Amino acid sequence: MIKCSDCGASQPEGTLFCSECGGFLLESTKKTTTVLPFSQFAERPPPPPLAGTELEPSSEVRRLIFVIPASRRRFTLELDKEIRVGRADPKSDVVPELDLTQDNGLEKGVSRFHATIMASSRGIVLIDLGSTNGTVLNSYRLPAKQPYPLQSGDEVRFGDVLVHLFFNNT
Amino acid sequence: MTGEFNYYKILGVDPQATTDTIRQAFAELRAGFPQEMRDAAVNPAYRRLLNAYEVLNNPERRATYDSLLVETALPALSIDSLSSRDQIGLTESVQRIYLLVDVRAPEQEVKAVLPLNLCLVIDRSTSMQGTRLSCVKSAVELIADRLTAEDIISVVTFSDRAEVVLPAAHLDSKAHLAGQVRRIEASGGTEIYQGLSAAVKEMRKLPLKEYTNHLILLTDGHTYGDVDECLQLAQQVSRQGIGFSAFGIGSEWNDEFLDRLVASSGGQSGFIESPTQIVDFLQQRITGLGAIYAQNLRLLPDFPKSIRVQYGFKIVPFAQPLDLDNSTIQLGDLEGRSPLSFLLEVDIEQQPVETRINIPLLFTADIPSQGMQERTFRHHHRIYVLADAAKVEPPPSLVKAVRMLNMYRMNEKVWEEVEAGRLDVAATRMRRLTTRLLEAGETQLAHEAQSEMGRLAQAGTMSLEGRKRLKYGTRALVNQTITLDHDD
Repeated sequence: MIKCSDCGASQPEGTLFCSECGGFLLESTKKTTTVLPFSQFAERPPPPPLAGTELEPSSEVRRLIFVIPASRRRFTLELDKEIRVGRADPKSDVVPELDLTQDNGLEKGVSRFHATIMASSRGIVLIDLGSTNGTVLNSYRLPAKQPYPLQSGDEVRFGDVLVHLFFNNT
Repeated sequence: MTGEFNYYKILGVDPQATTDTIRQAFAELRAGFPQEMRDAAVNPAYRRLLNAYEVLNNPERRATYDSLLVETALPALSIDSLSSRDQIGLTESVQRIYLLVDVRAPEQEVKAVLPLNLCLVIDRSTSMQGTRLSCVKSAVELIADRLTAEDIISVVTFSDRAEVVLPAAHLDSKAHLAGQVRRIEASGGTEIYQGLSAAVKEMRKLPLKEYTNHLILLTDGHTYGDVDECLQLAQQVSRQGIGFSAFGIGSEWNDEFLDRLVASSGGQSGFIESPTQIVDFLQQRITGLGAIYAQNLRLLPDFPKSIRVQYGFKIVPFAQPLDLDNSTIQLGDLEGRSPLSFLLEVDIEQQPVETRINIPLLFTADIPSQGMQERTFRHHHRIYVLADAAKVEPPPSLVKAVRMLNMYRMNEKVWEEVEAGRLDVAATRMRRLTTRLLEAGETQLAHEAQSEMGRLAQAGTMSLEGRKRLKYGTRALVNQTITLDHDD
């Protein structure tokens, strides 16, 4: 028997696709986030992040508009607590609020738990979650797990997926 | 085997000839040899005649000879197979392999098809009123253009009872067909058995052996109380050479029933979402039927004990699950211009020692153009069990087919969970399917799956349209995958 690395279901040896979650079971072509060449490029050092102590969660509900030029997708998400960014994960059945599977997320190096967008007392912040290929905010590569303030009109690159972000600056 | 050494040709008799005929033929030929020439030791011609007679006059020897003859004769079917692995390691556990089998007419043999004996069985229950029935009518009229002068057509309608609108006959006048069909009016319930049995009666008016016999059912509803009778009839007449196809219009019909109805003849079932598609579906089906090379193709599951076939699915010429529950696996008809491909999921029991496993693929088929009835064709697929089995990537075409098929099966499981009342499990499965569909670039089906997932979570059920769109949509994905590459 072999175990599906996505959902843990047992399958007879030689099975090609998991009967439970549909994951591909051949080791040689496992689906892990591709490390893209641009990850190695050094870029300008980013400005300092907001200090964690300054962040108070905000209860104010904000509306964020996301535009993904490559796949011509445009949609509005409500920012209640957080908007997770990544790829749908069959293992835990977690589908992030901003799911980039459809935007060729896998090929374009988006991690399953790539980044998160949160509402705080200092405005809307973006935090990279230690993703394989990183998050780039307006050409600054963000260090992992540090909150950065977002402005309406910002360009954010998750792996190689470019997203434009708009909201009312209140 | 050349004519000179074929015993039947030496005696000038048909391979199906009776013993009496053989004796008579021998006596006549022997009489042609003067007494002094009847010495097998010196006269090779007489020796051949005597040999032929001795073998064919002895039932046991004749049977052995016949089986050899089949194997050495130029094959009337070309069979090919491809597996996900041809070598497996020594193991303590069950090993799974996938086998893609491709059956086709040999080159240059695509000719002499039988004329069609076609019967259209049309639901005229009240729900067919309006666009549905008018689209069916125009589809029937258009079909007339696809028929040749030798073809036979009949049209039967049913509601609570059946009515023969056009008796089985050559199509003399298209205007007459159109006139008869236009008079069909919608009213009443849906009793499919009435329609099927009247249709079979019409079709039997002709000698079935001289035709490609096919019944096409068009319905938009559930049948009441006669499901078992319908299935029995389908099973019974499929043995006599009548094939079934069934198309459901709209979303209210019972897809499981139609799948089972066509399974015994290896026919096609399909989902016609919008009435305007009826014409396309029917024309496609009839084009396929008009070019049939071999009929009644069946796989005899004569497998060794160590092998279990878990799942079977026909991929080409149309996608259709195979019914493995019967003593033979019905594959349907082989079209002359297209191969017939199917996929088997095979489990091999643990193999502690090195060996070679033969997976016998034994087919029977009728090939009218060659006068063959229930002729047997053999093919073996070999798997080697080796201590150091080579790790080889499975063929990409096969992986693709299995991947698409897996999505179809994932969707089937969702429905099983819904029927069993496990809605949360169903929703989880549907979410996983959504992700896989997205990965495969099937955005439209993914959206469909996503909205059904929402419906499962909120309303605790799926929509009938959504269920059918997903079922037949994922099924069609399998058909879009490629088949075996031939050398030609």
